[in-house]
Amino acid sequence: MPQSQRDVRNRITAVKNIEKITRAMAMVAAARLNRAEQRIHALRPYASAIRRMTRQAAETAGAVPSVPILQEHAEVGTVALLFVAGDRGLAGAFNSNIVRAGIAAGREHEDAGRRVVYFASGRRVASSLTFRRIALADSFTGFTDRPSYADARRIAERLMAIYLDGEVDQVEVFYNGFVSVISQFVRRETLLPLQRATVIEAGPLEEPASGARPQRVVPEYEPDAAAVLRRLVLDYVEISIYRALLESTASEHGARMTAMRHASDNAGELIQDLTLQMNRARQAEITKEIMEVVAGAEGLG
Amino acid sequence: MAHAKFPVEVLSPEGEVFNGEVEMVSTRTTVGVIGILARHAPLLATLEPTELRLYKTETEVVRFAQAEGYLQVGDNHALLLVEEAHPLADLDAHELRERLRVAEEEIEQAGEDTERRQVAERDKRRWERFLSLTE
Repeated sequence: MPQSQRDVRNRITAVKNIEKITRAMAMVAAARLNRAEQRIHALRPYASAIRRMTRQAAETAGAVPSVPILQEHAEVGTVALLFVAGDRGLAGAFNSNIVRAGIAAGREHEDAGRRVVYFASGRRVASSLTFRRIALADSFTGFTDRPSYADARRIAERLMAIYLDGEVDQVEVFYNGFVSVISQFVRRETLLPLQRATVIEAGPLEEPASGARPQRVVPEYEPDAAAVLRRLVLDYVEISIYRALLESTASEHGARMTAMRHASDNAGELIQDLTLQMNRARQAEITKEIMEVVAGAEGLG
Repeated sequence: MAHAKFPVEVLSPEGEVFNGEVEMVSTRTTVGVIGILARHAPLLATLEPTELRLYKTETEVVRFAQAEGYLQVGDNHALLLVEEAHPLADLDAHELRERLRVAEEEIEQAGEDTERRQVAERDKRRWERFLSLTE
């Protein structure tokens, strides 16, 4: 049965409104993505300065001291998994990819006889884990639009504390790595125990920024090189988490932008189809009226 | 008397905080309060939360609330890496008091000699110092 013209017209209005909203969301996401990318760039000079300092301190101290977070626990009985995603949805598979990958990893660990503790960053992940009746040890929410270093430090401190206090023997983190607007993929990293290699031989050293020339003179250390080094090592964990949060935020905005563009395109197509349907309904009505007139005329004649 | 100036860079993970020439830097290391003038001996120190003061001249002072970090001095150049640096006007006493309360609760809950307790104590000290800067 053809729909009445009014029904179709109402649907067109509704779809047009949705299209307006999705287009606006795509634009907002694009602007935020821009900012999120800038923040990833802003971290670089700090991270490479920390790396330079670590190398320098390590040379003076002779060797990396035995920092507890560098030490593997003899037996891995409990694993903590941190899922990093967003506070909000409407971003395609952004959140569900993390949940899926993380839960699969959790099963692997459980099958291998390890206990798994879950942590979530982002309201969406937290709620979908709760929905699946997976108990969360803790969740960190309310900042995924614009994570600050203090947020990262809070998460890092919590995870380091449970590692050092022996509550867990390994910490893994899952997040959407940001490659480009259209390319994001789930990254799985082992955060703790921290790998010695990440601290000392973390890739080619970037050229020092202007002014921060490498030092030839052995500086004086306060308190001493080993103590400075011990603190620097902790910063690697914080920076790793901060980078994961930043990349996740950029990925979230990228994913939302793409999802909202598709939604707007779909709405456009739907509007075309519905317009066609409305024209057909109108034509049917006109044809019907003509038939009635003709039939009436014939009846009279 | 005007002192000689030297370049200072302050970086945080969220970007560059300060980059310019100053006469003196005043901050606090793990060992104690320190003032850096031009041509200071090479130094690498860990910083504690405090008020960071950058003296562009004797009277023109740029102030920040500085969290933990590192100070590197060498080649007549100072580099400060700080986890957080806020202009004093941006500090929110109400929010800091709330954070302080959370940290104190954590200390209550955490057992003796745990890393959790140390973290909470570090947090408490930081928020206390920041809070004192709002007054």
